[in-house]
Amino acid sequence: MSPRSSLYAALAVLAAATLTACVPVQHVSGRSEHHNDFGTPVGDQRVADGGELVMGLSAEPDRLDPTTSSSLYTRYVMSTICEKLYDLNSAGSVVPQLATTLPKVSPDGLTVTIGVRTGIVFADGTPFDAKAVATSLQRHFSLKTSQRTSEMGPVKSIEAPDPSHVVLHYKRPFAPITAALADRAGMIMSPTALAKEGNGFGDHPVCVGPFKFVQRVPQTSITVTRDPRYYDAKDVHLDKITYRIMSDANIRAANLRSGDIQVADTISPQDIDALAKDPGLKVLQAPSLGYQGVTLNTGNVDGVGKPTKPIDTPLAKDPRVRQAFSLAIDRQTLVDTVFNNWFDPACSPIAPQTPYASAASNACPAFDPAKARQLLHEAGVPIPYPVSMQVSNTQDQLRYAQALQASVAESGFDLKIVPVEYSTLLDVQKRGTFEALMLGWSGRVDPDANTARFLSTGAGGNYGGFNSSTLDNLLGAASRSIDVKTRAALYGQAVQLIQQQNPIVYTYRLRNLTVRSTRIAGVEVYSDGVVRLGKAAYLQNQEG
Amino acid sequence: MTIDAGTPVPLARVRGRTLGRLVRNPMGVAGGVLLLIVLVAGVFAPLLAPYAPAEVHFSTPFQQPGTVGFGLGTDDLGRDILSRVLYGTRASLEVGALSVLFAVALGVPLGLLSGYWRWLDAIVSRLADLMLAFPFLILAVGLAAINGGGLANAAVALGIAQIPTMVRVVRADTLRLKETDFVLAAHTMHAGPWRILGQHVLPNALPVIIVQATVIMPAAVLGEAILSFLGLGIQPPDPSLGIMLSDAQQYLFRTPWPGIFPGIALAVICLGFNLFGDALRDALDPKTSR
Amino acid sequence: MLRHLLHRLWQSALTLVLASVVVFIGVRALPGDPATAMAGEQADPAAIAAVRAQLGLDDPLPVQYFKFVGHALTGDFGKSVRTGTPVREMIGATLPVTVQLAVFAMIIAVLAGMAGGVVAAVSRGRWPEWAANGFSLLALSIPTFWLGILAVLYLSVQLGWFPASGYVSPFEQPLRGLYYLALPAVILGLAHAAVVQRQTRSSMVETLTADFVRTARAKGLGRGAVVFRYALRNSLIVVTTIVGLQLGGLIAGAVVTERIFSLPGIGKLTLDSVFTRDYPVIQAVVLVITSAYIVINLLVDFLYTVIDPRMRVSGRTR
Repeated sequence: MSPRSSLYAALAVLAAATLTACVPVQHVSGRSEHHNDFGTPVGDQRVADGGELVMGLSAEPDRLDPTTSSSLYTRYVMSTICEKLYDLNSAGSVVPQLATTLPKVSPDGLTVTIGVRTGIVFADGTPFDAKAVATSLQRHFSLKTSQRTSEMGPVKSIEAPDPSHVVLHYKRPFAPITAALADRAGMIMSPTALAKEGNGFGDHPVCVGPFKFVQRVPQTSITVTRDPRYYDAKDVHLDKITYRIMSDANIRAANLRSGDIQVADTISPQDIDALAKDPGLKVLQAPSLGYQGVTLNTGNVDGVGKPTKPIDTPLAKDPRVRQAFSLAIDRQTLVDTVFNNWFDPACSPIAPQTPYASAASNACPAFDPAKARQLLHEAGVPIPYPVSMQVSNTQDQLRYAQALQASVAESGFDLKIVPVEYSTLLDVQKRGTFEALMLGWSGRVDPDANTARFLSTGAGGNYGGFNSSTLDNLLGAASRSIDVKTRAALYGQAVQLIQQQNPIVYTYRLRNLTVRSTRIAGVEVYSDGVVRLGKAAYLQNQEG
Repeated sequence: MTIDAGTPVPLARVRGRTLGRLVRNPMGVAGGVLLLIVLVAGVFAPLLAPYAPAEVHFSTPFQQPGTVGFGLGTDDLGRDILSRVLYGTRASLEVGALSVLFAVALGVPLGLLSGYWRWLDAIVSRLADLMLAFPFLILAVGLAAINGGGLANAAVALGIAQIPTMVRVVRADTLRLKETDFVLAAHTMHAGPWRILGQHVLPNALPVIIVQATVIMPAAVLGEAILSFLGLGIQPPDPSLGIMLSDAQQYLFRTPWPGIFPGIALAVICLGFNLFGDALRDALDPKTSR
Repeated sequence: MLRHLLHRLWQSALTLVLASVVVFIGVRALPGDPATAMAGEQADPAAIAAVRAQLGLDDPLPVQYFKFVGHALTGDFGKSVRTGTPVREMIGATLPVTVQLAVFAMIIAVLAGMAGGVVAAVSRGRWPEWAANGFSLLALSIPTFWLGILAVLYLSVQLGWFPASGYVSPFEQPLRGLYYLALPAVILGLAHAAVVQRQTRSSMVETLTADFVRTARAKGLGRGAVVFRYALRNSLIVVTTIVGLQLGGLIAGAVVTERIFSLPGIGKLTLDSVFTRDYPVIQAVVLVITSAYIVINLLVDFLYTVIDPRMRVSGRTR
């Protein structure tokens, strides 16, 4: 093609575009409803024994060490090689896994007794007993670089009075411990491996699990193989699982279609409709326990953890301005447009599917640009009122931010988007050098970790520097109570207060979108987002 | 007809001859026409674009090209692709021009000086070596992380990357010109180094500087697209062809259109500069022409 | 000759030292630190402080620098802050992928580029020259990453001719490995093919019109013999330089191709490590890429003296 003819080609495209300018505008069709699908166990389906399963993992896990790991994706791999004292079931309740009973809490709430399995072994042959459990829990609590310390709560001591019981002594009652033990803090490591590897445990993790660690190729893959010593080995069918790291969502989608991988997590809402139509694939979806939102800086001047100071802007001082911001967000339209309606609008830190949700916590202020404008007038601020919002420069976040900008403009906000790289955003958040900041939270089973951590005065995650003794009292009372109904009521009151004060403006809640091949069965995803592959299998005559 | 390195040629005459050669070269003319289209699109984007580039239309995402009101269709947020391509072209040209300026402003003096003084040459050459060997992307990511990204930042990163070649080209030409009769003559008339560099060397080195600038320009335009594609260049909501491509990549399986037009725009911009630059090089230095 | 080489070695060492200082200071100037980046949303202040102390980030900067250089000299780049894997292993896993991709792309570029250049040079003024020139112009102007995206969409996903992504080592499974690398290498090689083609063409045109060739032709030497014995040999020198200059750049520049085709190469490692502020990895990657660039250029220098005897005396001037 000569240079000239390429010019003509370009002109021809332009001309064609103008000449055919007669297609009427196509409006978006109605929304479809989404139903949760957590996947089902193998059950009595006829499955084959053996085979290798490949999962496309959306991010590379960090250290495969339950004590020091902070990446959520590490849990995906750990779920097949490292069982926990407790697990979740599809209903979101905590059930025993390596424990034999739910924790028994003494009437004063200070002693927690856990019955644990006996007669089973770790992948290296070390016997599993209460002493091993106590060693692991002690490491989670007291290792200097542990990321679990705060999840464990105000522990006084940990002991193993007999081979089948572990006792945790607390300084103050701490209800969230049960849920914490259903996450990484409940993972039990082989004491032999710990003694041998020490801080290097993550290089060769050894736990109890249907599979055991084989090798890790940096940036590429992690391989695990069936553990014949596993106590429930008869229900394990696959020989091998390879987690292949594929950080691009559309690459995961392409590999699912081509059959190169059988499972992939965190599918983009852009790809999911097309994948759902593929007869060889099945979509699993579980609503997240976390939330996405915009933190408004009301008092973080010297950095998080330091005493808060007043900030002299209407947004920081005047709750009416913050409320106007919340009312200015057309949450439903935003999730419809940006996420093809696969995610849900959210107005509170309490996920609606959990037992801690209530009518009060599910209430959501409707999109009301007129009222938002009126509030801004009452507050006496100039319209358009400028707000500068820092946001992580990842695609989904930026797309949402741009749509948000358009949405709040209608109510008189001039939202300026300041994209920064994720690590910088974490730094900015800590230092308090922001006016508004958009960042989500992946969520935990216990609501305390989704609320108090970010909203209690002086808490390590209170990046906005919010300061309310009323809210502190409500959240404190909720964390000390053991009764679910009482807690739900307290969190309901807390949400009402949060929605008046709006230290964090909640926007939407993700769904954990996982896709699996129809050739396999037994893949399960619950609301913690972890893709459980331990008991998965190829259907008979479908071996890979 | 050749430019004899030994005789200073009046600039006006060079210009006249160069223009004549350019006009007679069909490739150069094609390049010029493409450039003109691109420049008009970029400079007059605010007048030509039917919408603001970041204007979101929630009710009309993913319109196909040829839709009434949206000539080239809309993207996932219902933004008009034609408007975004126009503004993106504008941004590309801005980054290109800024990085050329940056590379010229730093590269030309360094090249002149290091060509003139040997002791400076050693230092400048080491720095140029370092810049050539140092992974450019790390530099770009680092700058983006520190300054928060954006158009100017991308231009600086791309400009820095182009400095070493500019230094080398200018240095080589200075070395050559230093030995010419007219510079030697100026020496004997006790002209100072600054006067020699400014009045005799620089004007005669202009052709190589201009040619190098036409090489930098498309490289910077492509570089900006790549940086923005990786999320390190221009930051949304500011429009950029690279950002459009990376956005489009997310839903390419659904709608390929939003990923086609920005690519064509980029190709046209670069093609224009490459054609024009080639012709200009031939015109300025007839030895290399066919 | 020996003096020239020694001088070049000394210059290279100096460049490396400069690079190590720049990257050392540079990573510490980035906002955020590895401990915070690693903790992510988890962010427990006590744990972050402990991680910082463990990494030696609280030591004075000169102490940190000399520790880093001292260890690097023995080939020990420390462990990744994020994954705890030794950095040497990470580079060992990713560098070969990028080198294979770059070399494969370069081979394609040289073969296609030289063929195109020869065609363009011998068929001056006729359509093959126009075709070859048109190709090189387009290849230089069309953004390769855009072409890569379109190739994945149409050739891999819709037509299924190539795998959409992934990597198989050509040393373990030669055919499959090459098959996986083929599309990325072609895409990455295109622009370089254009450069090689242009240089081959102009160097060949220069030789073909040179006096000694005219004399040889006048004495009855065949056209083919001239092209292959003289012109091609001369253009080899030019091509060697380009290959050298570009191969170094290719290793650092393959990151976009790696991203589009999801290849676990060093470019991806580079980006990931900067994003997670993984200081030891960033430092090591910069040193490795810089050294690769320098070593390749030294090799080119050396090759030069082999191919072109004149260079043995004068040394190379750029």
